[in-house]
Amino acid sequence: MARKIGKALVVGAGIAGIRAALDLAESGYGVILIDKSPHIGGILSQLDYQFPTDHCGMCKMLPLVDRDASSQYCLRKGLFHENIDITLSTELVSIKGEPGQFQVMLKEHPNWVTSDLCTGCGECVDACPIEVPDEFNSGLGTRKAIYLPIPHAIPNPYVIDYTVCTRCGACEEMCPTGAIKIPEKARGDFRILVVDDELIVRDSLKEWLAEEGFAVDMAASGQEAIEQLSQQTYQLMLLDLKMPEMDGVEVLQKTIDEFPDLDVVMMTAYATVETAVEAMKIGALDYLVKPFDPETLIPMVKRLYQERAASEGRQIEVGAVVLCGGTAFFDPASGKNTFGYGIFPNVVTHLEFERLLSGTGPYHGQLVRLGDGQALQKIAWIQCVGSRDLQLEADYCSNICCMAAIKQALVAKQKARGNLDTTIFYMDMRTFGKSFERYRQQAEAKHGVRLKRARIHTVDRHAACGDLILRGVDLAGQSSEERFDMVVLTVGQRPIGGANDLSELAGIELNSLGFAQTEAFSLTRSSRSGIELGGSFTGLKDISDSVVQASAAALNASRILHAAGGSLALKSSSFIPSTDVLREVPRILVIVCTCGVRLPAAVDTQKVIEQLTADPLVDGVDFVEQTCTAAGWEHLEKRVAESKPNRILIGSCLPYVYKRKIKDLGQRIGLNPSLIDVVDLASEYQKHVLEKEPKEFITQNVTSKLEMGIARLKWIEPSAPPDIPVIQRALVIGGGVAGMTAALAIADHGFQVDLVEQNDRLGGNLNWLERTLDGHQPTELLQQTRTSVEKHPQIQVHTQTRVVRSTGEVGHFQTTITDAQNTEQTLDHAVTILATGGREAATSAYGYGTSPVIVTQKELEEKLSNQPLDATQLHSIAMIQCVDSREEPRNYCSRVCCANALKHALHLKEINPDIQIYILYRDMMTYGFDESYYTRARKANVIFIQYQFTEKPQVMANQESVRVTVIDSIINRPIQIEADLLVLATGIIPNLPTQLAETFGASVDEDGFFQEADSKWRPVDSLKEGVFACGLAHSPRNIAESITTAEAAAQRTLRILGHERLSAGKVVANVHHSLCSLCERCIDACPYRARSIDMDQDRVLVNPAMCQGCGSCAAICPNGASVLEGFLEQQMLEMIDAAIG
Amino acid sequence: MSITGKIEVQDKDILGALGAFFKRVLETDDINAILVPQHLSMKNMVMPTLVTDPEQLNGVDPLAPAFPMNAAKIVSRLTRKQMGSKIAVVLRPCEIRAFVELVKLKQGQMDEVMLIGMDCLGAFQNKDYLQYVDRHGDKSTERFYQDVLDGKQADIEGATLASACMSCENPVPTNADILIGLFGVEIADYLLVQSQSKRGTNLLNQMHMTEIPEPASRQDAITAIVAQRIACRDEMFVRTRAATDSLEKMTAYLANCVNCYNCRVACPVCYCKECVFVTDVFNHDPSQYLRWANRKGVIKMPTDTLFFHLTRLAHMSTACVGCGQCSNACPNGIPVMELFRTISQSTQRAFEYEAGKSIQQEPPLSVFYEDEFPEVVGINS
Repeated sequence: MARKIGKALVVGAGIAGIRAALDLAESGYGVILIDKSPHIGGILSQLDYQFPTDHCGMCKMLPLVDRDASSQYCLRKGLFHENIDITLSTELVSIKGEPGQFQVMLKEHPNWVTSDLCTGCGECVDACPIEVPDEFNSGLGTRKAIYLPIPHAIPNPYVIDYTVCTRCGACEEMCPTGAIKIPEKARGDFRILVVDDELIVRDSLKEWLAEEGFAVDMAASGQEAIEQLSQQTYQLMLLDLKMPEMDGVEVLQKTIDEFPDLDVVMMTAYATVETAVEAMKIGALDYLVKPFDPETLIPMVKRLYQERAASEGRQIEVGAVVLCGGTAFFDPASGKNTFGYGIFPNVVTHLEFERLLSGTGPYHGQLVRLGDGQALQKIAWIQCVGSRDLQLEADYCSNICCMAAIKQALVAKQKARGNLDTTIFYMDMRTFGKSFERYRQQAEAKHGVRLKRARIHTVDRHAACGDLILRGVDLAGQSSEERFDMVVLTVGQRPIGGANDLSELAGIELNSLGFAQTEAFSLTRSSRSGIELGGSFTGLKDISDSVVQASAAALNASRILHAAGGSLALKSSSFIPSTDVLREVPRILVIVCTCGVRLPAAVDTQKVIEQLTADPLVDGVDFVEQTCTAAGWEHLEKRVAESKPNRILIGSCLPYVYKRKIKDLGQRIGLNPSLIDVVDLASEYQKHVLEKEPKEFITQNVTSKLEMGIARLKWIEPSAPPDIPVIQRALVIGGGVAGMTAALAIADHGFQVDLVEQNDRLGGNLNWLERTLDGHQPTELLQQTRTSVEKHPQIQVHTQTRVVRSTGEVGHFQTTITDAQNTEQTLDHAVTILATGGREAATSAYGYGTSPVIVTQKELEEKLSNQPLDATQLHSIAMIQCVDSREEPRNYCSRVCCANALKHALHLKEINPDIQIYILYRDMMTYGFDESYYTRARKANVIFIQYQFTEKPQVMANQESVRVTVIDSIINRPIQIEADLLVLATGIIPNLPTQLAETFGASVDEDGFFQEADSKWRPVDSLKEGVFACGLAHSPRNIAESITTAEAAAQRTLRILGHERLSAGKVVANVHHSLCSLCERCIDACPYRARSIDMDQDRVLVNPAMCQGCGSCAAICPNGASVLEGFLEQQMLEMIDAAIG
Repeated sequence: MSITGKIEVQDKDILGALGAFFKRVLETDDINAILVPQHLSMKNMVMPTLVTDPEQLNGVDPLAPAFPMNAAKIVSRLTRKQMGSKIAVVLRPCEIRAFVELVKLKQGQMDEVMLIGMDCLGAFQNKDYLQYVDRHGDKSTERFYQDVLDGKQADIEGATLASACMSCENPVPTNADILIGLFGVEIADYLLVQSQSKRGTNLLNQMHMTEIPEPASRQDAITAIVAQRIACRDEMFVRTRAATDSLEKMTAYLANCVNCYNCRVACPVCYCKECVFVTDVFNHDPSQYLRWANRKGVIKMPTDTLFFHLTRLAHMSTACVGCGQCSNACPNGIPVMELFRTISQSTQRAFEYEAGKSIQQEPPLSVFYEDEFPEVVGINS
């Protein structure tokens, strides 16, 4: 794909990092994606099931246009994109410079396994004597020092955990491909100078260290040491503190400046530790307290050796950085641990439980009691462990735990085929996201998950049977206890270890809780320009919110890159046109890697040759020892040069390893790389060898595999992927804060934007919003944004304008708009953003409309800002939450009302501390850091009364006051509140007419909000490419969150706007019109709406950029009129034939 | 609002009464042409005819036990695009059901066509009919319907009804605009006519039919026939399953097949412009045949016979209406209908689909439900 000169660094390859990297890469920027762990995927690599489908679906994030720039398979397994350079086991060291031009230092951990050579056979694991807890299974199992970080990754080379490896070399000996090189000998290059006046210390140190393979010299005095240093380069000096004549500190002072690369460790007696600490201030790295033994000394020296080996960092230049630092979790074993975590085997965290559910987990997904292996029958979840806990200084909610627990209960029930009782003990069930509430209700009503509002204080274990006994207090204050087989602690978020270091080296601020701090009205902007924040680094969030935020972070990074000239095109490397061999009869050369002696030992190679060369199109069959090595590849190239085949089949292992080599080879010999193919033989025949299958069987199997490859090559017809032109303009419908943000974001990248607003002024809901819970000023935001929009040369604002109709598809829509004078105008654009907003729902509940003292939240805000309401004159206010919400037909949480209630309550209390405020709620949805305002409101004596959905408050009102009767669940008796004002939280409804959405080929969900292509993985896209949504039309959100969706939607459009032509993938569908009966079943079958019928020409058309090559159309077409390029019927039949042969 | 009326029969001349009725239909303003089976003047054979001149309806014979082709294919040809005129078509129930399938496959349209369905007495296989008509000449149709209505349907003058008809549980048309009823009706006196749609009602109103109540005996008569047919059908299913329940047996069942593809040509719902089996996909490389032979030492020629039938089952068994034209067309006496109906029974049940039953029901496989067939899809398992 076309490449721009701009480059970005994405730190953290979890879901947010992957999204941000893909977004930037799809826009054409180069991306360096690093992660300190040896695998991508972050936490998600451990999670198999995701709400709301309870499946995975990560692959839906893969590029949809210019698909071939990226690999097109399971994203949990691996990510390969032309523009993304992934470096694992790598950490950030420093970021210097300015936005647009950062110099970043990266440090890569040593890797002793050459990943290109590792075939994943696993023989090294059997040889390794070291066993340690396995982090992938959250410590529930063990692994070796050489191990697979995650079992499903591709490529999946083994890695060595050098912190536990003893360098015994057993694995190195076993490795059949020589992929492992333990750098034992390199230690001889690590010279250590031992400086001590005591001979016995010098001698014993020399003995210990030399045994480990280090080069050791000795000096008996400071003077001697200085002399030796000047003659020989040393990496480490072990320096005694107390020596006659020149003491250690003096030696240090004299040498530190002259030998900056020398590490110095002080050796000290216990009494002089303070001096040693002083020495560290001068520049010593560390100190050792005498007397010491090899167990403390050797690991320290090894560590220093490793760090030096690793610190050969590399410096890169990037224009912007996206920091996706991730999150850590509360350790329930810390503190009082009244739940017995780490003591009772069946008390686990929810992360551990994910591994228990997983088929790749320690029990292969069997739900059994740990210890006795009995089937689980009763599981309890305890919510808010380490969250919403003032004693633990965790005055925040961790956002995701409520839904995670419900999902786990559902998946567990499904796995147990219903034979499982599940109970979730919670405080508030925070179902604040789109579709969460219905999911919860279904879990309860349909699947029988028990949700119990109660606080568990203790978990005990029954001595005899091992059952866990939960003791707690229910709503009415009654103590109760219940037995369970297993207890899952839903542990809360914590800042990552090293957050302070990261903040320091990146120069960004953390909030008071230790999470990354974002700027006002932004979820991505850090305190340092050019460094954007993604994912849970700013507080734990679910996949959907992470993905949205990551796209927004990518957008803001892209802005910096663009402003610094990063959008200029990179010169593409010269391309040698391939010789046209398609008209020639295929001459196929087959090269088979013998992997040393493995293949000939398992297979009758002569028979393979005989059988394959029976086909006249096979030019020759050749066996090469190890095509993966340079020598092997050379041999292959020589053979190719000799026989000049026009198609090449390589039988080896791990086809993806060859991708780049094949491209190079093809260019060199002038053969289209698609005419060179690799089939994986090794993984299967090696398995057969282990299973002791007869040689004949294995021979046939290998032959079949090669014949399949031959059949595929025979029929291959490489053609240039089609593309479609792009009208590089955008249409944004709706001029609220989301629409304006999206328009600005696109326009800032140099593209023209038409912004259509039906009212006479821009601003939407910001026109009445006066303040936010966290004290920011929406009015200021409105003014700034509106001014920027109105002044922007690339934005055309159309107020009092509506959309009449639209036709077309991604790349070119034609939309007709009409203004107040009914003048029609047609706009051409490539993409559409629906930002039509939402509004406070009307209500007739609780006597609204019968009395002036019953108002909605919005009316209260307006009354307070226009001051017809004098808060100092009020004595008592009641607020009712969830009015007509979280029940059919508006069965969703509007997300902002609880925060709004707190905002008003705290504001009123500030004006008049004597007002009595009563908030009647069902579940307080103060998710994330908003929790602290809930605490603050309680401290300010705001009274919170929880009411039951089945027993809603009763309201009696006259023109001056109102009486609210509600059953308080703690005393279980009705109480009466006399109030001057009743405030109703009626929630948000969208302004997205179905007809408008459908005009653009999008659809709305059952509540009238925009229907996403996928709520988690494609949260702002519609299923039809080129149409996006943001703001309240998408879902209820607060201002910052709405802005984030707008930025995300804008980023999604930039993938398209940034190209003059949109490349389709190589594998796209086509129609053989002469065979087509026009039954249109393919049109119904296409999940991407890429097909349409042209009535004038009587033809079915395919938009190649929208087509994703899934093949549904080809499958449903009975006579092959619909075909998928690269999957011809003859080809498939012949391959099947070969496979069963 | 449905109308039930009667077509008077004079001198027991049922065909004459039908002819007169169709003539009146053709004379209404709504209808410009009528497609109806007629006795051909040039030969003793009954074929569909397209008539615009009311005087050309003298040979009307929809009751003949002849079923030379499923006329849904003809109606599809006539309605594939806008015709600009309205036609009435006289069809057997299985032809209507096949047409419904074709409309769902966009191979025809309902807008310009008035469907007249007749209670179906069944038909002979083509070759049996030719013998029958030779023997009885002009009187053959009359003899036939009289015998059938008298309950002698299994064995009439030495000939048997086609097995498709004997195991047909849909002898009464559904989805017609106008139904002409015979079962449970004193056909010596009159034929029943009933509208099944708004369009049908409008047409009958224009024709000023004498309204009568539906005779009480009709439903009982239908129930009895259907019960008999279902028993016959289920017995056929058992027989066919036993004969085809392994790959070996299936191969034997189809051993006579010579790849003439007549069954596919005769099939009303096989709608492809060109079948994949006559395209290059199956025009194998000559060396391929030898490779196959090499593998086993011997292969039956022509190849791909089982593959052909399995493919056709995969493509159209969910749309199969059981008309039996496939068996009718087979030159080598393969009981194709039995196989297809048996498999269709399972595939249609699997998708809770009944071919031809309703124009609204989406054809299977045009929509994908994630929670459907977890054992096949592999999700949720």
